[in-house]
Amino acid sequence: MSRLKTALGGYAGYQGREGHLAFLLHRVTGLGTVLFLTIHIVDTALVYFRPELYMDAVALYRSTLFGIGEVFLVFCVFYHGINGLRIAAFDLFLKKNWQIQTARSSVRWTLGLTLLLWLPATVIMVRNLLIHNFGLFGG
Amino acid sequence: MQVHLKVFRFNPEIDRKPRYDRFDVQAEPTERVLDLLEMVKNYNDGTLAFRRSCAHGVCGSDAMRINGRNALACKVLLKDLNTDQVTVEPLLGMRVIKDLIVDMEPFFAHYRSVMPYLVNDEPLPEDGKERLQSPQEQERFEDTTKCILCAACTTSCPSFWASENYVGPAAIVNAHRFIYDSRDRAGAKRLAVLNQRMGVWACRTAFNCSEACPRDIQITRAIAEVKEALNR
Ligand code: HEM
Ligand code: FES
Repeated sequence: MSRLKTALGGYAGYQGREGHLAFLLHRVTGLGTVLFLTIHIVDTALVYFRPELYMDAVALYRSTLFGIGEVFLVFCVFYHGINGLRIAAFDLFLKKNWQIQTARSSVRWTLGLTLLLWLPATVIMVRNLLIHNFGLFGG
Repeated sequence: MQVHLKVFRFNPEIDRKPRYDRFDVQAEPTERVLDLLEMVKNYNDGTLAFRRSCAHGVCGSDAMRINGRNALACKVLLKDLNTDQVTVEPLLGMRVIKDLIVDMEPFFAHYRSVMPYLVNDEPLPEDGKERLQSPQEQERFEDTTKCILCAACTTSCPSFWASENYVGPAAIVNAHRFIYDSRDRAGAKRLAVLNQRMGVWACRTAFNCSEACPRDIQITRAIAEVKEALNR
């Protein structure tokens, strides 16, 4: 148990640089995606086990809270996927470039690319949320 | 300059839990964190415990967390910290013996596990002298010969924080030094030790080790090269 405390203390307190941040985000986004996937498997299974509850589950996905959660889910998937490909590419093909400078800049590129893909998706998703949940834009 | 120094203190024989002591120290920007500790020990509190030997970045005794980041106290100049607030804490993930001194034994146990010495039982060359090696062959492992076993890398690693069973970057670096040595014959044994969940595969490429190394060894690259050796 105290080892877990050491690890969490290090994650949060160690003044690491880009690589440390990339590692933390990869773990958090990976776990976040797992959490979502678990919920999603459970609610989809309702169709089979408790069909009368399925529509309630679908309604839950239309709630504002879930809408906002999905915006973060999209970030998680983009970041985790792109960063995972970054790690795999360096480990498999670019070993010689696993050096401090290239590692730092590759993390910045990964974050930039993630935002580039995430922001348009966010605009669309937030707009949908405003239309359907708040009656804006003539919704 | 006036430095506000915050030092982790813990004596397991007396204290129930750790605390931080504060000292205001007068120092030059070109002085090192180690100098601050020496001043405190000499003039403020003789019970402060820390390790140092060479004081010049060669012996590897005084690795510690300085403002949250691993480094040798004898190599960090105050002006490079860009602040007058300096916090020193022991290396993370090791048992504290007293104040800034940690128990290095688990670290050295991992080091020994990779057989960090040349193994070659073949007969000596005809002339009975040294086993020759070309400059190119030496270049192959030059970078990983620089390790001074200070533990700054291993104790900056998230995988090591989570499990002290992780062999750690320092042991991998020292395995690399012999795996890629053309004169050595025990590469397969070392690779067997490292080809485990708590061997090289626990590396998450967080780069804290490479960033922390006071000898600028490209540690993450060395780990990738050991993985490459495993895939051959
Ligand atoms: C887009 C496709 C994906 C790619 C390219 C990818 C890639 C990776 C890679 C390379 C790692 C190892 C990281 C390392 O060793 O440093 C990893 C870890 C992980 N992935 Fe993924 N992944 C993907 C999708 C997912 C999905 C859909 C989930 C969740 C259901 C997930 C959950 C995790 C978790 C929990 C870890 C462990 C994180 C850690 O050890 O810190 N991944 N992923
Ligand atoms: S005292 Fe020897 S490395 Fe710092």
